Amino acid sequence: MATANLVVDIDRCTGHGRCYTVSSELLTEDEEGFVAVRHQSMELTEEQTPAARLAVDACPEQAMRIEYGEQ
Amino acid sequence: MTAGFDDERRCPVVHTDYRPDRPAFTTIDQLSTERELGQAVWNDSTDYGFLMVQRYDDVVELLKHTDTLVNDNVNAFDPNMEIPLLPNSLNPPDHNKLRRVLNPFFSPAAVKRLEPLARLRAETLVSELAEKRSVDLVSEFAILYPTELFLALLGLPTEDGPMVLPWVEAIFGGFFASTPEELQAAGDAVASFSTYFGQLIDDREKDLGDPTTDLMSRLLVAKIDGEPISRADILTICMTLMTAGLDTTRSALGYIFHHLAQDSDLRQTMINEPERWPNFIEEAMRLYTLIIQDGRQVKEDSEVLGCPMKQGEMVWLGLAAANRDPRKFENPDTFDMDRENLNHHLGFGIGVHRCIGMHLARAELVIALEAWHKVIPDYRLAAGTELVERGGQLRLQNLPLEWD
Repeated sequence: MATANLVVDIDRCTGHGRCYTVSSELLTEDEEGFVAVRHQSMELTEEQTPAARLAVDACPEQAMRIEYGEQ
Repeated sequence: MTAGFDDERRCPVVHTDYRPDRPAFTTIDQLSTERELGQAVWNDSTDYGFLMVQRYDDVVELLKHTDTLVNDNVNAFDPNMEIPLLPNSLNPPDHNKLRRVLNPFFSPAAVKRLEPLARLRAETLVSELAEKRSVDLVSEFAILYPTELFLALLGLPTEDGPMVLPWVEAIFGGFFASTPEELQAAGDAVASFSTYFGQLIDDREKDLGDPTTDLMSRLLVAKIDGEPISRADILTICMTLMTAGLDTTRSALGYIFHHLAQDSDLRQTMINEPERWPNFIEEAMRLYTLIIQDGRQVKEDSEVLGCPMKQGEMVWLGLAAANRDPRKFENPDTFDMDRENLNHHLGFGIGVHRCIGMHLARAELVIALEAWHKVIPDYRLAAGTELVERGGQLRLQNLPLEWD
């Protein structure tokens, strides 16, 4: 079964917040303004993947990516 | 335009002095022209000169090189500038430690807490202006609105706005100084800030507030590597935040209102679809970049994009020109709030030093624009207006608007 995970490169994320702004239904922020899931990868359902792609594209630091795998 | 070539620097050379005021919108034209001369261009208009790097990919890349292009000095016009800035002047890892102390006060959550005050202030100002039918947007709206909010964010009396604004002006005069008088005035302003914030420190030391909601209290209790932040550094932090916060938002409002005054169709679109204000603002940040460059200091003798540089020399990382780079943005000189890579603009910088006030700025601008257009949907530029923009860090010096 194909899996997709949203992964944040913690060294690149500087808290611009574009990701959780464009995909507010999927992502939220912590009290410093960084995306809340930056410390661990987030498993994505098929329905969530388009919103995740928008978030990935929105990041000016290119700090997010979707990793696909087989499980 | 043909430029000379500097054999030592191995790149084209230009002589444009970006410090003085110039006719509005001419700065970015000149920057864009010079961007196309080469990946790196030497500017010899100042005593020391500086290297201009202005293409998008190069700017983004070099801003990551925090170990070789450092923030010890961020003023490309003056490698020896003595106006202290914190956290700007710090490099990793110290930079991050201080940012983390400050981040919660500028987070989206903190900004949300300020929104009711922002809305109230915007609505009050707009209703005061509505009957006048002829205003200078810069001095009568754009300067006043962010000032009160910023003072409130810092826990200072909002009535102090008229007092601190001239100090902010003078400090900017010092960044882009061409005269000893400007430098002197900046020094005096720094001293005034020290007295002003010094009083606030004394008050809070006697009567500490809640460090989760009061910035000064937070600065007084914070520990970095087990040590408290020194009084001198606290003063510098306050001065830096105030200078940064007050100048930029009002500058953005000037360019935004100028754009809207010229485009009634766009105004109508925004009135009909106010949910698009956030995208509007991102595109305005790109097209009308105020902080036209980030200055970085060369840490050791080295080469930057093939140009030999000596320790202590300055590199100009051209955010404004990069925001108009056709290699990155299609039809870069056109306003298009639906463009695909809208969120990649460098109007707030990028990398670890990206603007800490970005969430506040965005919220302030959306609220101001919504409030204004609810009451004053139609307006135009007053006839015969000649617009001037300040040098160094752009803003329109005035913007006369009128309506029926």
